[in-house]
Amino acid sequence: MHHKIKIPPLKNFLGIIVVISISLWIKVELTNESGLFYLSLWIGLMLGVVLQRSRFCFYCLSRDFVEKKDASGLLGILLSLVIGTIGYHFVFGAFLIEPVKPYLPPNAHISPVSLVLILGSLCFGFGMSIAGSCISAQLYRLGEGLLSAVLSLVGVLIGFIIAYQCWNFFYINFISNAPIIWFPHYMGYGGSIFLQLSLLVLIFIFLFFFHRPQNKLISQYWWENRWPTYIGGILVGLIGMIAFLRITPLGVTAELGRVSKLIAGYFEMMPSRLNGLDTLQGCISAVTNLFWSNNGLLISGVVMGSFATAVFSNDFAIKIPNKNELARTFIGGLFMGFGAMIALGCTIGNLLSGIMTASLSGWVFLVFCFIGFYAGWATRIKFDI
Amino acid sequence: MKLWKNILKRSRKEYTMNKIIYIFASLLWSSFSFANSDFLVESDWVEKNLNNPNVRLIEVSVSAGDYERGHIQGAVNFKWHTDLVDTVSRDIVSKENFQNLLTKSGINQGDTIILYGDKNNWFAAWASWIFDIYGVDNVKLLNGGKTKWQNENKPLTPLATAVSAGNIIIQDPNLSLRAKLADVVKVANNESDIALVDIRSPAEYEGKIFAPEGVQELAVRAGHIPGAINVPWGKAVNEDGTIKSVSELKELYASVGIDGSKPIITYCRIGERSSHTWFVLKKILGYDVRNYDGSWTEYGNSVGNPIINLTGTVWGNT
Repeated sequence: MHHKIKIPPLKNFLGIIVVISISLWIKVELTNESGLFYLSLWIGLMLGVVLQRSRFCFYCLSRDFVEKKDASGLLGILLSLVIGTIGYHFVFGAFLIEPVKPYLPPNAHISPVSLVLILGSLCFGFGMSIAGSCISAQLYRLGEGLLSAVLSLVGVLIGFIIAYQCWNFFYINFISNAPIIWFPHYMGYGGSIFLQLSLLVLIFIFLFFFHRPQNKLISQYWWENRWPTYIGGILVGLIGMIAFLRITPLGVTAELGRVSKLIAGYFEMMPSRLNGLDTLQGCISAVTNLFWSNNGLLISGVVMGSFATAVFSNDFAIKIPNKNELARTFIGGLFMGFGAMIALGCTIGNLLSGIMTASLSGWVFLVFCFIGFYAGWATRIKFDI
Repeated sequence: MKLWKNILKRSRKEYTMNKIIYIFASLLWSSFSFANSDFLVESDWVEKNLNNPNVRLIEVSVSAGDYERGHIQGAVNFKWHTDLVDTVSRDIVSKENFQNLLTKSGINQGDTIILYGDKNNWFAAWASWIFDIYGVDNVKLLNGGKTKWQNENKPLTPLATAVSAGNIIIQDPNLSLRAKLADVVKVANNESDIALVDIRSPAEYEGKIFAPEGVQELAVRAGHIPGAINVPWGKAVNEDGTIKSVSELKELYASVGIDGSKPIITYCRIGERSSHTWFVLKKILGYDVRNYDGSWTEYGNSVGNPIINLTGTVWGNT
């Protein structure tokens, strides 16, 4: 049987053309820079496409579960953690043949486990409920034309600046002597994979127990149909592994941190030193590039990649927020920014990359971010916001 | 059985042949190459010797992930901050720890050791100084470091190198390669006839700044040690990071009165950039040189010793 494959109207290709043109322009601009910058852009583009097409939004998928008993989205996130865990362990074996203390894989997201991490995770989860999506989802939804995402990101920047004021207190009292726990140190790579997969399977069974299958609308045009979240999960896991192997684990807050530092510096609101964060590296630290950065290119890539596929699949629509939404997304952004700074990462950097790394901090973030999410969700139901 | 014996015999023969070829090739190479002296090797030579079991590569890079995401095939990783210094007291790595490091890294007696790294080979040069202190011979620097290797599009791998324990035995430290605070204080007070080379930037030497950009101000005084001559480390290298020719180097240092006729001490901020100049003066030119690893972060903080600050900056005076 031969079905004629339908081709989307030409206007649907506009976003892809625009984004490819911009990426070529950036390639020219990057001629004399490190080749990794351009790779960062493309990792961001791929991530943006996957997040947008599979609606990989931590808040939306969690809400589907608590409201509609639809666990398929969360199962997709679990699958990304399964793929990522295996992929990361392959990379670990290349970087460090034996996981012997005190060595850690380079730039891996393994944070100290402290009360501050718990507070940050709770704040982040609460903020993402109030704002209606986490930071990575704000980025891809910005690409879909959700203008309130801009205000939410401004909230995140201000949240970062507030967190900077408290950082030194937190660091000295809670973080400096908190344990850094990387599972392979205690049980080797095999044991660590086994532990991680066991935990993920347990959560999988738990979610599946509550799961109620849903009827989903299917469009007659293939390009309008979202990808199932499990496809997104597999791809996010693979992209995470590539990013770790070539540049640094996935994260979307480093650039926001850099920008908020610049802003805080301008208004003279930056502490003269952030303990523990300003680590002396070598004799002369790397030349600070004022414009390009790996993470800046990655998050620009997420917005652009999402824009390209949103236009392609008729998901692009400029949404002008009302006053209520503006206030909500801004306040949610404040909580997310504060939480992400003190927890040293968000749902991407801490939850995804942290768990893939087999770091206890990633799991702690997962648990308390979900509790924060639930509190925020319940607050919104109660006060009808 | 016979077949096996033949195969074994043949492979043994090939191994000896390979060894002869290697020795012959390296002799040939050293005969027509100037700076491919006993202490420098070019990237092409390293590329040809990647599978030579007697050539051991060690990367000394300080940017996180730099070694792991791509190093020259077969290289092991020495971390300057933990492997080549004492992490508790401010000192070079102890004999015991350095011996363990080399054993663990599979270095054998008689191996040719090639050091290279990021940041202009500064930290690789520090490593060569440490090797020299502990009496290990056959240690060379990859000319131009990792940057040149990368710029030549030569391959890198992210796969860590598995090694079995080596049999090298190191010597007691030869402290005549190292200068201490008391040695430079004597120079500052005109009590000893030693040429002191400050290899930092002119702005640091003159006292305009306390530390280079991006580095914390770890000394409460700016300026230099009296009697020190300023020859920034970078003057000894070409644009591609390779070390200049012997005649150029002789001319460079002779122009400021350093011709090897008297002992030399090099220093910088923490002693790693000065290792580079130490390497150039000691290994390439063969002068009598000591590295002062306490450098400006020690001298500039020491109490009661004279300094020269050409700019008149006062620490904390806003």
